[in-house]
Amino acid sequence: MKVPKEYYDEIFEFRGTWDEPSTCGLKIRQYEGKYYVVVTELYQENPGTSITYAGRKLADQICEAKGLRFDDMVYIECAPDTNSKLSFYDEEYFEVDFNADLQHKYHQLDPQKVKAILSQNA
Amino acid sequence: MKLIYPKWKKLPGQTTFNLPPHGPVAFAGTLPDYVDVSFTDENVEPIDFNEECDIVALSMMLSTQVKRGWEIAAEYHKRGKLVMAGGISSMLHAEEMVNHVDSLFLGESEGRMDGVMQDFVRGELKKVYNYMGQMPPIESVGPCRRDLYKRELYNHKGVQMVDLFHASRGCRFSCYPCAVSYLGGRKFRPRPIDKVVEDMAAIENNRLFIVDNSLAQNKEWEKELFRAIAPLKKKWISHTIEDDEEVLQLAYEAGAWYVYQAVYDTSDYIKERVKRYHDHGIGVEGTILLGLDNQTEDDCKRLIDFLGEIDLDLAEFTVLTPFPHTKIYDDLLRQGRIFDFDWNHYNAGQVVFQPKHMTPEQLQNVYDYAWQSFYKNETQEQKMFNLFCNVALREMNEGTYRPRDRKLMNQSFGHQVDRSKRNVNV
Repeated sequence: MKVPKEYYDEIFEFRGTWDEPSTCGLKIRQYEGKYYVVVTELYQENPGTSITYAGRKLADQICEAKGLRFDDMVYIECAPDTNSKLSFYDEEYFEVDFNADLQHKYHQLDPQKVKAILSQNA
Repeated sequence: MKLIYPKWKKLPGQTTFNLPPHGPVAFAGTLPDYVDVSFTDENVEPIDFNEECDIVALSMMLSTQVKRGWEIAAEYHKRGKLVMAGGISSMLHAEEMVNHVDSLFLGESEGRMDGVMQDFVRGELKKVYNYMGQMPPIESVGPCRRDLYKRELYNHKGVQMVDLFHASRGCRFSCYPCAVSYLGGRKFRPRPIDKVVEDMAAIENNRLFIVDNSLAQNKEWEKELFRAIAPLKKKWISHTIEDDEEVLQLAYEAGAWYVYQAVYDTSDYIKERVKRYHDHGIGVEGTILLGLDNQTEDDCKRLIDFLGEIDLDLAEFTVLTPFPHTKIYDDLLRQGRIFDFDWNHYNAGQVVFQPKHMTPEQLQNVYDYAWQSFYKNETQEQKMFNLFCNVALREMNEGTYRPRDRKLMNQSFGHQVDRSKRNVNV
């Protein structure tokens, strides 16, 4: 159940909850004046905290590592299709609004739209 | 040290068997010799908050224990005692836990407690001991402090409950609703066979529950393990065993009593899987998870009705529960479907999320229907008794049977038995 490589340009190492060594897939694209940052959960390949549980902590570490301003970023979490027989591992994208309350924090996105953005300047 | 295993509210309508908890005595086994330990499992006896101690340690496994743990910590704080916490649910709920205790231990404690205790003695106990992801060598896992158990409290009508035992840690699987890979690592870490045999042989109990997440992780190790423990003539319960003729036969010869086997669909494969266990003399307790996104109410009921066709010895039903640090938690959180974050409700019997194809009430009703339907002709305690008879016969044939303790025939987990009632709820 490996995450296919087309979901990421690089493996980003980050400190998860309690500084646990953790990894995620990462793609960054510039589009209409914003940086689209897509972090992908790696499941078995991630030894530590999930991207969703890490949340803002991961976003801050990406900003720091890549020299991005937080406000210039559209932050998207990707649950990738792992070609598993189990439907739990189908592809989903969520834009995360870290300033919103829990009910409004995650906005599901159309995968085709995300892929269209990711194909810019690829 | 006062070591406490907090109580939790048991699920209504189900027979409660209190097993001697494994986490606290595994932890106690890692303490240096100069630490005197007094242990209380609050599920079977009340805590004496005035008992003399220098430090309190809370060991917690379930999400439903954490809030009670915080209450206990507050009670000891009133008495000026320092409280530390560890164990599975301390790790899963660490961000909240750290606000309620003086010191939080994250990770596995082998080889680390001398340092912690030295800090305590110097008055320099750290707020957090963070060993997440840093697994100690598996060879360093030693025997549990089973001498801390008050054995008579884990006895039902003269029958001693099984002792919990672990032959490995970690899990190479990362199943959708499970947090084990987060807690114990995604690498299967089998204990050296000679240490397993040595520890198992030292347990004053003929019946065990090997609590490893799945024994079906490394076939060669599994076979070696079964061959090595067979001479001990213990009888044991476990989770899944490899679906392989040779392995199943070796498991039976090693004392496999019954296994927990997930029943997730109505396929012939499941039917055959259960049959293969039975063909090898191994009983099966089906574990049925209700409320998955691919299940409608009708699907659940079909699955429940299917259980009647596959001759399960026991069944345990749970509703999908998004425990922190699981994939299901992330998925349901992002989808805005978790409506209840009261950890006391995370008992796998109460719906805390919005199911995809049912209302929460419908899922709750399906769950209740499942228990009632499966046990309508024979109660859980009666079915358990049948399994008990199977193992007792095997033990009699092998000359290892230990008769019931007649002094405790009228007691159940430390309480007097009301023999007019069939079910026992403690």
